Amino acid sequence: MYAVEFKDVSRVYRNGDHEQRALDHVDLQLPAGKFIVILGPSGAGKSTLLNLVGGLDSPTEGTILVDGQDISRLTNNELADYRASTVGFVFQSYNLIPTLTVIENVALVKEIAKEPLSSHDMLKAVGLIDHSHAFPSELSGGEQQRVSIARALAKNPKILLCDEPTGALDSETGVMVLKLLLSMARDMGKTIIVVTHNQNIAKMGDVVVRVKNGKIVYCEEQANPLSAEEVDW
Amino acid sequence: MMLKKLLRTLLKYKAQFISMAIMIALGIGVFLGFNMEWYTLQVNSNRFLDETGFADYRLYDTERGFSAEELERIRALDGVDDATRFMSISMGVEGTDDIVILSVSENMNVSGFKLMEGEPYDPESTDGMWLSDSYAASNGINTGDSLTLTYKNYTITGTVRGLIKAGEHMICLVDESMMMPDYSSGGFAYVSPALLERVVDEEIARVLDENPLYRLAGGLISSERESSINRLFMQINVISGLSKAEFVEKADAALGRTCMVASKAETVSWAETQGEINEGKTMGSVLPVLFLAIAVLTMVTTMHRITANEKTQIGTLKALGFRDKRILVHYSSFALFIGLVGTVLGVGLGYLLGWYIMNPSAAMGTYIDMPYWRLHAPWFTWAVIAAIILLLVFIGFMSVRRMLKGTAADALRPYTPKKMRHLALEETRLFKKLSFGTKWNLRDCFRHKSRSFMTLFGIFGCVVLLLGGLGMRDTMDAFIDSFYGTAINYSVRINLNTETAYSEEDSDTARESYNQAALELCEKYGGDWCAQSSVQIVDKACGLEIYSITRDKVRFLDGDMAPVALADDGAYICTRIARSFDVGAGDSLSFSPYGSDDKYTVKIAGVISSLSESVIMSESYARNQGIPITVTSVFTDETQIESGNALIQSYQTKQAIMDSFDQFMELMNVMVVLLVLAAIVLGIVVLYNLGVMSYVERYREMATLKVVGFKDAKIGRLLISQNLWLTALGIIIGIPLGAAVLDYLIKALAAEYELSMVISLTTYLFTVLLTVGVSLVVGLMVAKKNKRIDMVSALKTEE
Repeated sequence: MYAVEFKDVSRVYRNGDHEQRALDHVDLQLPAGKFIVILGPSGAGKSTLLNLVGGLDSPTEGTILVDGQDISRLTNNELADYRASTVGFVFQSYNLIPTLTVIENVALVKEIAKEPLSSHDMLKAVGLIDHSHAFPSELSGGEQQRVSIARALAKNPKILLCDEPTGALDSETGVMVLKLLLSMARDMGKTIIVVTHNQNIAKMGDVVVRVKNGKIVYCEEQANPLSAEEVDW
Repeated sequence: MMLKKLLRTLLKYKAQFISMAIMIALGIGVFLGFNMEWYTLQVNSNRFLDETGFADYRLYDTERGFSAEELERIRALDGVDDATRFMSISMGVEGTDDIVILSVSENMNVSGFKLMEGEPYDPESTDGMWLSDSYAASNGINTGDSLTLTYKNYTITGTVRGLIKAGEHMICLVDESMMMPDYSSGGFAYVSPALLERVVDEEIARVLDENPLYRLAGGLISSERESSINRLFMQINVISGLSKAEFVEKADAALGRTCMVASKAETVSWAETQGEINEGKTMGSVLPVLFLAIAVLTMVTTMHRITANEKTQIGTLKALGFRDKRILVHYSSFALFIGLVGTVLGVGLGYLLGWYIMNPSAAMGTYIDMPYWRLHAPWFTWAVIAAIILLLVFIGFMSVRRMLKGTAADALRPYTPKKMRHLALEETRLFKKLSFGTKWNLRDCFRHKSRSFMTLFGIFGCVVLLLGGLGMRDTMDAFIDSFYGTAINYSVRINLNTETAYSEEDSDTARESYNQAALELCEKYGGDWCAQSSVQIVDKACGLEIYSITRDKVRFLDGDMAPVALADDGAYICTRIARSFDVGAGDSLSFSPYGSDDKYTVKIAGVISSLSESVIMSESYARNQGIPITVTSVFTDETQIESGNALIQSYQTKQAIMDSFDQFMELMNVMVVLLVLAAIVLGIVVLYNLGVMSYVERYREMATLKVVGFKDAKIGRLLISQNLWLTALGIIIGIPLGAAVLDYLIKALAAEYELSMVISLTTYLFTVLLTVGVSLVVGLMVAKKNKRIDMVSALKTEE
């Protein structure tokens, strides 16, 4: 069973008479427990793909199976449950709650997750246990992104979805974040899907998917992916 | 181009603009409406009183009245502009229990009337009657109908020639215990002196027919005719600019005796109208301040948020080369636009509110019977409105100026809200135990202090208005219950005809034999009695009420509306006298009966609540002090009152008195409805505006929660719970402050009823439930928007 399977999936955005086909009859299978990189230029449809897997959006046509569950026709509440239990999100702009401290940001998932992990352990895993009681605004960008990874992991999701997670970071911090994500796949068996336009990050992927004009150009497994340190930033 | 931008921005922030315009409209509407109410009353009543020659002073002699020669002496006084002999007598209407006050003015330039319908006044008419149009309308009487009035031996039958309104009867209370006119059972009428003379002549002819021997005393008959007419003219009404002291001195000298003088301030029509005007002034200065303050504060908060949201656009304009001045003018014009829209709506609302209170069919029209109701606004309202618009523009100007500070690059950077700081209470154990939602909301309240403060202020305003309005009603209800349920323990009040108590030859004997007859009547009806008269305390006209209570027909209430038994070792004074002369229990007080040089000093036994401004004492204390007693009323449970007894002048049932109070309560209910409506609108508008603002500001946070897996309902509950906390806090602060405002309003608005504030449990419950309800409804309206959060686009935006 694949972690994610797209069957003839299209996503069309309509604005008046104008129609934009963000994904066009996509078929795709992504294996579980791998570090998967989705690559493509701006507007290629990679974020749309990620949003569909994450249950932030629904396809116009086709079927999406995540861990065997068809999520393409779920109601709003069912999608919320799905997001709470199956996927974790990491954004380029972190999206932490500014009025909650670091540990509270991580712990807030306890309100909704069925089997949450210890917030303390998650912060320890991302190396921020010493900053537990700081507010997000008191942290650097990289630290904030690590908090957002800790929050995503605290839900104990099967799949971690990362949309340009290093887009707002300098190279050193970016490497640190990528290393962390990679270890989640290697050590914890999570499926990590990273969307990026950075070709170098693609070299780290167990699987690389290239998207262009709403279509999959290729989806290949890499025999010898690079480590985060080896990536030429 | 900039105009297009202005209109599109208005559209973008339509919820904020609409709510600000509504708040300004409410503030200006309430301010204008309430001020228009008292000013309209002032302008229209003054015009009417001037037109009908409302007298400045009234000289009274209820024993022998005034002669034509005495009138001339008064008229000749330096400082007196005009004067008339005036008659005003309560008469029964044949075939009904109604009472009509019959008035005659020899000189219609003083204490005259305004013809509303029918024939003009004819001083020579010997059968014409000009009747109150309100009384006529309530009783289906038309011009041409005949009406018979009776008073003692006199029967006056006349034809209604015209329907009128009169300044002297602008508030027509046929009985002093009534609070509101009741035209279905009483009114007033005017007849000419010619008709009066005809009636006196007919009475003399009747007496002569019964006693033909009297005819021998021809000259005597002629002088009796004159003194009969004089006795009916118990008043000389005067128009004069003199002060009361000057007039009293001159009048006493001219007449060679002391007469009771009442200035217009001591008449019901003038005093009550002035009371309404002053109440209106108080209402016009208290409530609108609350509304205007909320409108201005809402404007400050909202304009700041809008300009903060628009900061990058402001920066873009600056970077493009627009001068600061142009940008300032552009964004200030938003405030101007909102101010103008709000003002136009507010002026409309003000006129509507003014009309709602001040129209002849409304509650005020049933109280004050005047012909003019055109609305007038005092000049300062326009000045205040202009100042408010300027202030709003200034607020807009200052908000934009803040965003324009520094270089174009500074202006281009998006507005960054204040960084979160740790709160002192975070160190407490309790805080650590709080749920995520509670912490989130609590920190949000502290982070956005002005928004939280405004929400609190809106809730506070809502609570104050509800408690003020409903508490006023409770207070009046409690007062009516105590007064009519406890104090008035009789079914009928009989007013006695005291004429025989006064005799020029031997006043003491006449009074004694009169009192004897009155006491026999009292015994017959199994009642208690009261001797009521007018006294002067320093220069103030007050009442003196001496009671003999053996059958518990009348009870007295203290300031807390608890019953008090009259002790025999002192006199009681009402709260107003206590306040006016700064005296209380244990002090002494001196007064003189009107028309007498005697002076009595009494010990004050206590202060009680009284509808009339009076000194009250028991019969036994009055006799001890040597105060003369002339019984004026009998209180009984007998409802069958004999007719034809010369001692009985008139009677009122308790029900009739209570019915008149119902009308007063109607006026009160109108105000209560207005206040409750205003509270609801204010609550909804302020909370919705701030709720939308909070929603916009927390949009990204809510989108994050949604992505993480929070359901819409849960996010909604988080938002609503913040509203509910602030509501609870607003209620906790609002209730004591609302009670304080109510206490102030009661003292300012209804001093004459000597009320003590009462707020019922129902009012507290209703206030709390309605406020929570408004908050909940608005919370749900805002929370419903959660469903529309676009997670993808919300989270893509750069911070």
